[in-house]
Amino acid sequence: MSDAPYLSLEKLTLAYGDTVAVANLDLPIRKGELVALLGPSGCGKTTTMRAIAGLLPVKSGHVRLDGADITRVPANKRAVGLVFQSYALFPHLSVYENVAFGLKLKGMRGTGLDAKVRSGLTSVGLSSFANRKPAELSGGQQQRVALARSMVMEPKVLLLDEPLSNLDARLRLEMRTELQRVQKETGVTMIFVTHDQAEALALADRIVVMKNGKIEQIGSPEDIYNRPTSSFVADFVGFENIFPIEQGKMKTSSGLIDLSGPAPSAAGLAWRPRMVTLGSGPFRGTVRGTSFAGDSREYLLDTPFGPIKAEVEASQPAHALGSDLSFDLPAEKAAPLSRFA
Amino acid sequence: MSARSLFIPLTLFLVLGFLIGPFLIIVAASFSGGETLAFPPQGFSLRWILKVFTVESFRASFGMSMFLAIGGTAAALMLGIPASYALSRYKLPGAEIVRTVVSAPIIVPGIIVGLALLRYIVVPFQVGITPALFLAHTALVLPYAVRVVSASLDNLRSDIEEAAVLLGSSRLGAFFRVVMPNIRGGILSAFILGFVTSFNQVPVSLFLSGPGVRTLPIDMIAYMEIVFDPSVAALSSLLAFLSIGIVFAAERFLGFSRYV
Amino acid sequence: MFQNRAEALALALPAAFFAAAVFLMPVAILLSDGFRNPVGGWTISAYTDFFADPLNRTVFLRTLRLGAIVTVVSAVLGYAAAFAIVNLEPGTKGKMTGLVVLPLMISPVARTYAWIVILGRTGIVNQALQLVGLTDAPLRILFSETAVFVGLLQLFLPLMIISLISALENMPKDAVPAARVLGANWFQVFWKVILPLTKEGLVIGGTLVFTGSLTAYITPAILGGSKVLMLETLLYQQVSVSNNFVSASVIAFILIVMSFAANILLKRVATARNKQRVPQ
Repeated sequence: MSDAPYLSLEKLTLAYGDTVAVANLDLPIRKGELVALLGPSGCGKTTTMRAIAGLLPVKSGHVRLDGADITRVPANKRAVGLVFQSYALFPHLSVYENVAFGLKLKGMRGTGLDAKVRSGLTSVGLSSFANRKPAELSGGQQQRVALARSMVMEPKVLLLDEPLSNLDARLRLEMRTELQRVQKETGVTMIFVTHDQAEALALADRIVVMKNGKIEQIGSPEDIYNRPTSSFVADFVGFENIFPIEQGKMKTSSGLIDLSGPAPSAAGLAWRPRMVTLGSGPFRGTVRGTSFAGDSREYLLDTPFGPIKAEVEASQPAHALGSDLSFDLPAEKAAPLSRFA
Repeated sequence: MSARSLFIPLTLFLVLGFLIGPFLIIVAASFSGGETLAFPPQGFSLRWILKVFTVESFRASFGMSMFLAIGGTAAALMLGIPASYALSRYKLPGAEIVRTVVSAPIIVPGIIVGLALLRYIVVPFQVGITPALFLAHTALVLPYAVRVVSASLDNLRSDIEEAAVLLGSSRLGAFFRVVMPNIRGGILSAFILGFVTSFNQVPVSLFLSGPGVRTLPIDMIAYMEIVFDPSVAALSSLLAFLSIGIVFAAERFLGFSRYV
Repeated sequence: MFQNRAEALALALPAAFFAAAVFLMPVAILLSDGFRNPVGGWTISAYTDFFADPLNRTVFLRTLRLGAIVTVVSAVLGYAAAFAIVNLEPGTKGKMTGLVVLPLMISPVARTYAWIVILGRTGIVNQALQLVGLTDAPLRILFSETAVFVGLLQLFLPLMIISLISALENMPKDAVPAARVLGANWFQVFWKVILPLTKEGLVIGGTLVFTGSLTAYITPAILGGSKVLMLETLLYQQVSVSNNFVSASVIAFILIVMSFAANILLKRVATARNKQRVPQ
């Protein structure tokens, strides 16, 4: 794995008509990386993916792949594969013919073609389904056919649109393992688009969080999960208590409040519910809501800062609705945010 | 059983009798042995059924109607399939205008279409009778072609074309490799609907028909104004069974009614 | 959605151009003829002349009247038939619907021709009337408004029944039992529950029947002849007998305005129905 980017988006601007969907995006991706484009709907992640595939013309900027500028290269000559969210299998063709489709267009025939299709189907565990029609397969099987159909083309980059979102919990785990295996075995560069942070955290080497057509943060799953740099990312990955910082104090609806410890220099601070200390500390709040979640218990507190969400181990004694509690938002545990939107 | 619970089924029975009865009478009359059209038929014979095939003008006009129905529908599909594709898959400027223009001939009474065509296309541009009928029937079938093909395109996911392109196909290639095979049923249904519509059409062809060049239904009307024998009944029965057969087969094998 | 405008236009324009050239333009010129003043400029004198002629007024009113009667009668029969069909077992329901649709596949010439056999001087109806002694000499039923009415009704009733079947099937299953439990009699159930809930189907069916009757040619031509002219047959006569193209243009305009009005109504009802389906 070298450090020079294999696929790079440079000052990429994409638009539908006059509506700009992605503005001035820079994103270098190394060979063999598994990158997630993460963000809510409308953030531009799917638009970016379609531009990499060549399905959407680039307004300005460049797409470079393996040393060549492919900005104007048509989609059918890019060597970029895409597994659609709906799988987009050809309904009139058998599983075998679906996988053979692209190879035949490459001019492959006879035993070479057959061997390649068979090995593609075997690698996704569907060799016995070769003669079925897509409609006769389950969603998970259809997705594996779509994966095989793209992979037999030996693409330089494989794009996946919401690869786990249509699957049930058990199949998700199976597919996640499958994708990681394919990636390790073939070393293909993979980029997938998702709105589900858990999916991105579980699967990706690197996560690109997007918002309103711009990159909000790039980092490893650990970075994104533990060290969000903006309130948007913090909120997206489950920090539910987020406050701006002004003059070293926490800015709340009831004015500036001193923290219990020295405040780091940051635009804001964010705490996960688990980071809130309950039962001791300088602040007081009233229990407004409580819910039991198996090994933990969640509380919603009414406090001078507004509502605070806290989570403690279920083994600790429960607090009744309406009870008055002391709590703390320990500054040393908080994620410091450099941007507060 | 109360009077009310009998009333509704009885009405249905009478309504169905009213709708189907005349057709059954026509069929019975075509097997008549008598000289004139009558019911109940006088005797039984196949002579009128057989006579249909010997009437020279029926043969000519049947050929004409077949040509118009097959050729006109094919032409309408050749215009209509690309237009439907543009309407369903592209961000087409003025899409609503295009849709309205191509489906307008369905709203305007056929006799007016025929007259307008005669006066402002056929006469000024010296168009022959056959090409004029061909143009008229194509325009008449075009709205059906666009409607049925559009419906089947809308039922087909559009990402399979993108998938085909990403696997190396050209846009045109993708249309023929993955779109066409999947809308074949819709196209065939459009063809059958267009064929039946064109074949049974009278008003459009009324002004455009000329000496010796007529469509079959117009020829039948002309014939029965002169001769009052059961041969028109026999021909009607034959045509009815033909079209029922076609539509029945289409429903059986294509699920025709899904598209229409 | 593909973005390429040039490609989209290249695909759509041949059909649009064809329909515009072969259909739209000629019809537009034809319609404008009725407003053209022979000495230049525009006038509606052709329309005042047209309606000044009592024969034309008779034909105009007859067309409207027959259209209205056929629509009303087909609505009454249609409700009864559709109600009977939707309450059948699924298998029988399909077969009965098939029987209703069947006539639509048969050539209108053949369907109209059958009525000559039935209504003619030696037809079944006259034979029956003489047999029971209601009349001595055969009645002249053909070439009367009655004959045209019967022909049109048979031609278009299936469209009404089909519209009402789908309207009745989309009606909430419990509406009728609920009204009965609340004490409504059958007349009230129909008037206050079924009719309002199937109004759209009735309007759609009614529009199809009305415009169909208005613009039918074969039925009035064969069953009405020159004695019972309707607008379509009058138009044909004006052109082929009198060579009066101005009058033909006036009739064409009236027919188109009436069909368009009916179609706009149809579209409005259809969109009103779509708006009701608010996603949850």
